[in-house]
Amino acid sequence: MRSLVGGALVAVFMAGCGANVTLDPVTIPAPLINPMPLSVAIRIPAEFEHYVHEDEVLGREKWRIDLGRSNAALFTQLFEFMFDDVTVLGPDDDASALSIDALIEPSIDAFEFSVPSQSKTEAYAVWIRYRLKIYDSGGTVYANWPLSAYGKSERFGLTGDEPLKRAAILAMRDAAALMIMNLDKSTAISALKDRPAVTVASSQSAGAAAQEEPPREKRPQLPKRREVALPPPGPVAGPAVLSMDGNEDESGENIPEGSSND
Amino acid sequence: MTKATYRSGTMLTAGFAALVLSGCITSRVEDAREGITGIEAGEAIVILAKSYHLGNETEDKYIRCIEDALSRGSRGLRVIPHRQFVDSLFPWFEPRTAPAETAGLPKLMQRPGVADRIAEQNVRYIVWLDGDTDRVAGGGSLSCAAGPGGGGCFGFAWWQNDADYNAAVWDLKGLDSAGSVTADVSGTSFLPALVVPIPLIARARAAACKGLADQLRDFIVDEPEV
Repeated sequence: MRSLVGGALVAVFMAGCGANVTLDPVTIPAPLINPMPLSVAIRIPAEFEHYVHEDEVLGREKWRIDLGRSNAALFTQLFEFMFDDVTVLGPDDDASALSIDALIEPSIDAFEFSVPSQSKTEAYAVWIRYRLKIYDSGGTVYANWPLSAYGKSERFGLTGDEPLKRAAILAMRDAAALMIMNLDKSTAISALKDRPAVTVASSQSAGAAAQEEPPREKRPQLPKRREVALPPPGPVAGPAVLSMDGNEDESGENIPEGSSND
Repeated sequence: MTKATYRSGTMLTAGFAALVLSGCITSRVEDAREGITGIEAGEAIVILAKSYHLGNETEDKYIRCIEDALSRGSRGLRVIPHRQFVDSLFPWFEPRTAPAETAGLPKLMQRPGVADRIAEQNVRYIVWLDGDTDRVAGGGSLSCAAGPGGGGCFGFAWWQNDADYNAAVWDLKGLDSAGSVTADVSGTSFLPALVVPIPLIARARAAACKGLADQLRDFIVDEPEV
């Protein structure tokens, strides 16, 4: 009994001192959607698979949030639900031998959170800003879509670990819901179905191709290519980025602001 | 004194203590009916919180309290736990995607699998909760001290909590709003201390839960008075 009381007191004192939070791989329910008839590969960058966020709240509470494999697990499950055929690639895997319509590479642009001592509420909140880069079968960046997800959990338990985990999981579910609703609307990925491979002759042509409006209408069915030339793993060289920022407001995102941890 | 008499006396004392040791509560529960309601055997209801993306802060424990209160007793309704329902219809009842008004219901029902999943669970009503419990005022002063010979507290503190909740009832049979029930409860708690603090707690949220659940049950089950 005495040890229980002691443990509770330690937990209460520790609650104001930050914490180490490690997320377990997230699972999402099977969504009620019709999968898109596309064959895609998803490449999980190393930093995406082992994302760790460290922050000091109000100069006092040190927080270390290890998202671990949760993001990779989420995106893998989600895309398996969203597309007819999905190949998961590691950071160093070569996609050039695959017969696919598109390659998707997710990343995290920013991670922020707030705790009750900051927000003066009873809530823990998490914001995650993801970025999806979509490459066409020619290896050109076809779309570049940033998306913001938000999760909030009220305070429960003796420490902030569990509510913060819950908020992070809800933010990931929010991202999944947003991608289900708006991935095609924001990136026109479905137009890549059976699109013929285009050899990128130079960075100039690649840039020009990427700056064009992505095709919105389905092209005539062409014989499926035998080989694709996809870019090597890692950052893509050149200016071939089609920013979808302008569409973000149309995407139905409704993310509260004021997420600074200062 | 027999064992039964002793037990009865203890219960009376406990009841009296609870009565004396509770703070002041004022409550108002109202409903506004927009259509005829009623529920058949086997039909279920679901209690959900309005989206926190829209600024709503309804507490999870309040939702569970309403679920428990509605499903208990001889007049208990069949209540599907909110997380089970949301998972079964993923992603269409997530905070971002859930319909904000009944006008969105026909489109929602056309999405693949949604109408079937709702029919499988035989859900007749969705109740959307909005609101929260806030501390709106407080004051007084209380200090405690402890030493080798003992300790004690002296002073007086008070605080007021307001629990304001609204329950919007959607009828999935007619894909329309059936009306709403509101509960506004204000509770003032006191903490006088003369060596030993004596908490007189007004449980505003619990009162709002009971009041709203009772009214909600009547609203859903009963036909309107003619």
